[in-house]
Amino acid sequence: MNDILILELVFGLILSFIILGFMIWGAKSGQFDDGEKQNGGLLFDSPDDLNDAIRREKKQKDSRKSNS
Amino acid sequence: MSNVKCNHCHIEFDQDVMIKENDLNFCCNGCQGIYHLLKDDGLDSFYDKMGNNSIAPPIIIDDDISKFDRDSFEKRYVKRNEDGYKKIDLIIEGIHCAACVWLNEKVLYDTDGIIEASINFTNNKAVVVWDQSKLSLSQIITRIRHIGYNAYPYDKTENEKKATQNKKDYFIKMMVAVFASLNIMMIGVAKYTGFFTGIDDAILNWIHIAEFCLATPVLFYSGSVFFKGAYFGLKNKIVNMDLLVASGASLAYIYSIYVMFGGVGHSYFDSVAMIITFILVGKYLEVIGKKSAVDTLDTLKSQLPTEAIIIRDNEKISIALDEINLGDIIELKAGEKAAVDGQIISGAASFDESSISGESLPVYKKTDDMVYGGTINTDSVVRYKVTKDFEHSTLNNIVTLIEDSLLSKPEIENRANELSKSFSISILTISLLTFLAWYFYMGEFEDALINAISVIIIACPCALALATPMASLIGISWLANKKLLFKEAKHLETMAKATTVIFDKTGTLTYGNLKVIDEVAGTPLSDEQLSIIYSLADSSAHPISIAVKNYLREFNDKLDLTKLDNFEIVPGKGVKATYNCKKIVAGNIALLKDNNIDVNFKYDNSIFAVAIDGILIIIYELEDSIKEEAIETIEYLKDNSLDVIMLTGDNDNVAKKIAQQLNIEHFVAHMTPIDKANYLKKLKDKQEIIVMVGDGLNDAPALAIADISITMGSGADISIGLSDVVILDNSLKGLMDSFIISKRTYKFIKQNLGISLVYNIVTIPLAVFGYVIPLVAALSMSLSSLLVVGNSTRIKMKMK
Repeated sequence: MNDILILELVFGLILSFIILGFMIWGAKSGQFDDGEKQNGGLLFDSPDDLNDAIRREKKQKDSRKSNS
Repeated sequence: MSNVKCNHCHIEFDQDVMIKENDLNFCCNGCQGIYHLLKDDGLDSFYDKMGNNSIAPPIIIDDDISKFDRDSFEKRYVKRNEDGYKKIDLIIEGIHCAACVWLNEKVLYDTDGIIEASINFTNNKAVVVWDQSKLSLSQIITRIRHIGYNAYPYDKTENEKKATQNKKDYFIKMMVAVFASLNIMMIGVAKYTGFFTGIDDAILNWIHIAEFCLATPVLFYSGSVFFKGAYFGLKNKIVNMDLLVASGASLAYIYSIYVMFGGVGHSYFDSVAMIITFILVGKYLEVIGKKSAVDTLDTLKSQLPTEAIIIRDNEKISIALDEINLGDIIELKAGEKAAVDGQIISGAASFDESSISGESLPVYKKTDDMVYGGTINTDSVVRYKVTKDFEHSTLNNIVTLIEDSLLSKPEIENRANELSKSFSISILTISLLTFLAWYFYMGEFEDALINAISVIIIACPCALALATPMASLIGISWLANKKLLFKEAKHLETMAKATTVIFDKTGTLTYGNLKVIDEVAGTPLSDEQLSIIYSLADSSAHPISIAVKNYLREFNDKLDLTKLDNFEIVPGKGVKATYNCKKIVAGNIALLKDNNIDVNFKYDNSIFAVAIDGILIIIYELEDSIKEEAIETIEYLKDNSLDVIMLTGDNDNVAKKIAQQLNIEHFVAHMTPIDKANYLKKLKDKQEIIVMVGDGLNDAPALAIADISITMGSGADISIGLSDVVILDNSLKGLMDSFIISKRTYKFIKQNLGISLVYNIVTIPLAVFGYVIPLVAALSMSLSSLLVVGNSTRIKMKMK
């Protein structure tokens, strides 16, 4: 019984640190810089907006490639 | 008359003034044009995203767009990114909701040649990267203007970069602290339950290890700010709250490690994490406040003109502002903002001086009159000779003054900080003495260490640190319900201690809108004459014309717009037109005299006189009206022993009249923004604690200097950005409520500090003499915090 509890504790701790790592990565890459915009996106973004976001990333990548 | 919403901006207007199009209603041509543009481009989902929000009607700007492509401009603002594309930082004007951000980004991204367009909704700043071979910057700005917004470039300063990085660092530190604290709390439930039900040693050890793993990053990463603060404090021979937090948390941490490795006692990793987290959240809010001040400054700077057209050897040359020399001749077209101060040498025009004087009426200027930097030429072309270079011009002086004030704005220290200096020294000394006494007299190292740590834990600044924020939080939420936005909690305390309240006049004590207060007509006007006057007033956007138009609409049910011929605006004086071969002149007395029309009328206020075929038919007298509750508010402030002063850019007569109506003994007229700021500085030198209430850009320097700056919600964006308190419903009663609630909250803050001090006075001696084990110390510490929280909730109960 104790072993299970200890395993759960250790596993939970490792998992939570991994999640924290992702959040720090997100914060460092600027994903939390504009909280208000994020709220708006969460509430109002439609599938079209998500497709737009993919298109924009592709456009940026293509521009970089063509310029390099 | 019923109101309807504009289909584009969603602002409600009277049905009669709307432009109707089938079932659609628009408040102006701009809204109508943009509505159709968005529909045609398939961007109408903008209105779904906008929901019930409203936006400002589109900004119509008619300046020389080619300036954005000039070399001098590019040199200053345009950079290149790592891929070789051009990159510019912009401030987008007119953004009100997430839908506005979406629309701007969508339009920009859909433009061929734009690689990146990212707009920050919080501060309206944007970064645009584009391919210069496909489009120019002026085309990008045109795209933004096309959909009803405007963009200004701004120079990303070192201050902004530092503030942004600092905010990000603090955010990550706070995130780690909150994350670890929440996890420690969960694990703590098992540990504390185990004290009562029994817990296996192996499990307890693992719990200690898990808590250690979580508390370590909190102490050394998130808590590094306290170590730095304590270090720099000691370096400057100052004992501050940071030292107490750092030493308390470190000692509890070291002791917990000792317990973890088999020592006697209980671990306090949870206390370590909680203390750091609580206080770090407060620091993060301060960092956000500072970042917002830097953003406001950037917005202000972005509104400075970027260049000027000067006449050299009969040629017009565009030069950067810092290249303008004394004696240069500048040409200023209608709609342009003067960059530097000077004296008119040819032409005459009306100038919008609201950024300098706060007064909404344009001022007529002719040869030999002074033009001030930052004022806007509203109608005709003038040429003026530069008398002050950019560095010393009025507008740059305002910006510099605000910048200096913001960066060195002295804050009144809150009581907790004042107490912490002596409190920290006392606790650390008592703890050290406890350790030495127990070690040398009793000879027990472990007891000595435990008792010394108990002293620090029991005196942990939780209750002291919570005393102010808890009461402030409740006070601030109560104020928010009354539409009073306090940007930081500490302003409550400063407000409660204020000794002087300074008011701007226009827009603060008065509505800032002219109203017709009297009309003098020889004979009653016919319907035709009324329609002519209404049509004349309707043809101009001058505040006097708008006031006369509103007055006529209020008292006449049926008014038709009549077609006038040969309509002409006479700058600074009025309008002229013809109707059925009749010559109509309408405006001030000077215009009528210019047209050989005799007027014998004594007046103190603005005048709109109308003559048809040389015969004066009516004179309207206009005045700005005092806000409701102004008299009551001034009376309340004076009853509470506060000095009330009114500062205005207006003339003596108007200032005296308003001061008399409001029973204000101290007032000063003819004040420029810099005069106002200097006046406040002098008062501050006399140790006065000043509350400044203003609204316009002209009040911004004074607002930045005041201990508490209060702005009406309808005020200029710059002023709102600089102010500590915003009265969202523009009512002066809000000012009265701010004082009442601040004073009451401050009373409870003092009570809370008293509770935490009494608690320490009672418990610390017990800890010194070894009657308190660290666990009891930790529990009693929580109890003291609960007492403070409980007492704070009484603020609201008493208010009810």
